[in-house]
Amino acid sequence: MMENFELEAYHVPPELRDQVKISRTMVYEDESTRILLKIPSIDRTLIQSLPHHLKKKRSYLAHLPIEKIVHVLDEASRRWLDKNYPLRKLALKTIPLITGFSPEVVEASIDVEMESSLREDMWRTLSLEIGNPLYLDDFQYSPQLGGYSRAFGPELIVSIFSENIPALPHLLFMRSALVKSACLGKVARGEPTFAPLYLKTIEEIDPEMAKCMAVLYWQGGEEEIEASLFEQASAVVLFGGVEACRSLMEKIPRRIRTLVHGHRLGFGVIGRQRMNRQGLERLAEAVALDCSMFDQQACLAPHVYYLEEGGEVSPKEFCQAVAVAMKALNERMPRGRISPGEASAIHQLRAAYEFRELNGEDVLVLASSPKTDWTVVYEKDPGIFSPSPLNRFIRIFGVEDIFQVPPALKPIGPFLQNAAVAIGDDREKEFIRILGGLGVARITSPGKMSVPSMMWHHDGISPLASLLRWCDMEKKDEF
Amino acid sequence: MSELPKEALELDQKIIDFIRKGVDQQDPEGFNRLALEVFALQFKSIPLYRRYCEKRGIEPERISSWEEVPALPTDVFKVMELSMFPSQTVRTFMTSGTTKPEERGKVGYDEGGLRLMDATIEEAASSFLFPDGTKTKILIIAPSPEMAPHMIMAYGMNRLKDYFGLPQSRFLVGREGFEVETLLKELRFSEEEGVPVTLCGGSFGFVNFFDYCREKGLKFKLPSSSRTLDAGGFKGRSREVKREEFIKECGEILGIEKEYSVNLLGMTEISSQFYDSTLRNFHKGLHLSGAKINPPWTKTLVVDPETLKPLPLGETGLLKHFDLANRGHILAIQTDDLGRMTGEGFEVFGRSKEGEARGCSLTIDEMTHIEKGK
Repeated sequence: MMENFELEAYHVPPELRDQVKISRTMVYEDESTRILLKIPSIDRTLIQSLPHHLKKKRSYLAHLPIEKIVHVLDEASRRWLDKNYPLRKLALKTIPLITGFSPEVVEASIDVEMESSLREDMWRTLSLEIGNPLYLDDFQYSPQLGGYSRAFGPELIVSIFSENIPALPHLLFMRSALVKSACLGKVARGEPTFAPLYLKTIEEIDPEMAKCMAVLYWQGGEEEIEASLFEQASAVVLFGGVEACRSLMEKIPRRIRTLVHGHRLGFGVIGRQRMNRQGLERLAEAVALDCSMFDQQACLAPHVYYLEEGGEVSPKEFCQAVAVAMKALNERMPRGRISPGEASAIHQLRAAYEFRELNGEDVLVLASSPKTDWTVVYEKDPGIFSPSPLNRFIRIFGVEDIFQVPPALKPIGPFLQNAAVAIGDDREKEFIRILGGLGVARITSPGKMSVPSMMWHHDGISPLASLLRWCDMEKKDEF
Repeated sequence: MSELPKEALELDQKIIDFIRKGVDQQDPEGFNRLALEVFALQFKSIPLYRRYCEKRGIEPERISSWEEVPALPTDVFKVMELSMFPSQTVRTFMTSGTTKPEERGKVGYDEGGLRLMDATIEEAASSFLFPDGTKTKILIIAPSPEMAPHMIMAYGMNRLKDYFGLPQSRFLVGREGFEVETLLKELRFSEEEGVPVTLCGGSFGFVNFFDYCREKGLKFKLPSSSRTLDAGGFKGRSREVKREEFIKECGEILGIEKEYSVNLLGMTEISSQFYDSTLRNFHKGLHLSGAKINPPWTKTLVVDPETLKPLPLGETGLLKHFDLANRGHILAIQTDDLGRMTGEGFEVFGRSKEGEARGCSLTIDEMTHIEKGK
């Protein structure tokens, strides 16, 4: 029995829905499901009227107390965490077919994202970044200043999402709402459906608030659309590859505040103290989870895990345990569909390692067969950082001493994002200091790489504070 | 240097005899027999490859068809020397695409292997590039083998020049780079004297030359029977041009008739060449759409990118080639080229890239750019 779904690769406020024409319908199909995805046609009128409308409707959000905003966003996350929520069910039936991720991966990514998008997470971040969240509502007394301060978010944030990690674009809508900005996002071709569904949720909870949020899709590189939207934005947030971000940056007027989340990469380091038999299985499972979440496609994911020699368990033994865990995880949460080129890259690299192993080098290849579902390769640290072809392919480098790792990372400092670190002895602090100095944006434990606190210093930036403009008032007597 | 072992020399002779029967022979059993012999000798002589096969449960005595011979993924040549007789290597060819020598694939050829390659070059070109038997002046937009000893294309084109070229045939990339003035002179001379030309070289070299001609407002009307042979794609060294546009440019700028633009798929890891059938079909009066053709001493399979198992006719997958002339290294080569079989031959769509970055993690491609300091 074929199940049919109709989805839209856009979401605009109700007043403007008549203005959106459908340019074409993309069809995704497998044995049991057919999805018709409507792609909007974006004309000059819409490009002018939509930002204007969002800005106008922002006045509601601008006057909404931060507490109410947090309440709405929290409610949205809770709905998405409810297994019976119709939009969640719809997303789980459709996003796997569109993105190629397995349903289990999509489900896990929704849970991971939403569980860290609850009320407490928001309050924590607001206080971390802004101090007193009430600065967003009105002038508040600032003891440091000895006067009153207020924080203003941009009127309209335009954001370009270019990755297909499900349930990620909602972060930007949350952040925009928290700083009381209208938000217009462009979704990625690889995953254009989650953001429109998320805005439907906001609309269910607070229709007025939803009126200053919109999602569109167009083919990247549409000069006129991009230039026109950037021109009308008060801030721009870009997500994407190094090249794509650079070419977009050229179109953004200089006066507009721009945050860039370019592609990044992660790695892990385990010290000899933690390479023991007792915790082996659990630690190996943690490593496997880091490499398997989002099929390793998020910038949070590790390309390489460094294992220190000299512990109770050798790096090679550890690899065997990781392979067992990768296999088990693939049964529970299968790797998704990948492109021919991605599969080919995995086969090619596996073979290169296999021949080195056959040649008697200190190399180990453990892999699924005949398909490319997961791969663990071990070699002695070659001294340079080598990226993984991803899609659950982890390189494990054995090091004599963890302090050999940082020099290899230095050349890619600006691209480092996440590090999982488990040293377990008194070298840990010093090691972490070095990583921080190199450019790492977040240090966590193995197994936790894919679950940053929702409001972390994303890519080393304060995502809320960076969007704000402050007004200080020193005339405290008048207030 | 000692001689190649007798069994290799004897096998080479059998393969050369097979190749010399030309591209029209129909002898699948003969191919299968020779392929299994080549495999058996490689299995015996290349310990690493033998272990690779044994791990897969494949031994010469246990298989009866060439299709079962384990293929070697091209990237292995980046990390391993896999020649049958490494001490007999007289020539090493390297893949291009990266400036780091340690990341370039290397394939060593012994004397016998070079003789096999020479035979394939002569037989294939006489059928696919010169089916009409015309002698032309061969002008080559590539460095000579002396300048680029590791470039298989330079070697191959030098052979074409020797086997098929008129006396003044020559290479046009020297120490100072592309000798464009010389080429212009040669082309004008050919126009005036009515001497047909075969212009050959890397595809990107043609495109850069076309761009140069457009900028200078230059056009040629080369004598009839002039032709072009391009190979190797663009590799970011010129703009990317679709095949139809390339052929149109050959017509507009050089005055070459559309059937006379021939493309060739050649690889460092494969001794033989896969030509387009366009010119040959035209010469024989066949109205076929044209494809890359397997000369009878080669076979190509299209395999599933996930499982590497053969796909049904017409489906797109990764190309896996079998080449008897690869006696000196490995018969079966798994490429990362995407393509599909057609009734006539096969189509190649180019290297399967990682594709668009899907997630937000830095990709190997991006890393490469960063390493280059971009």
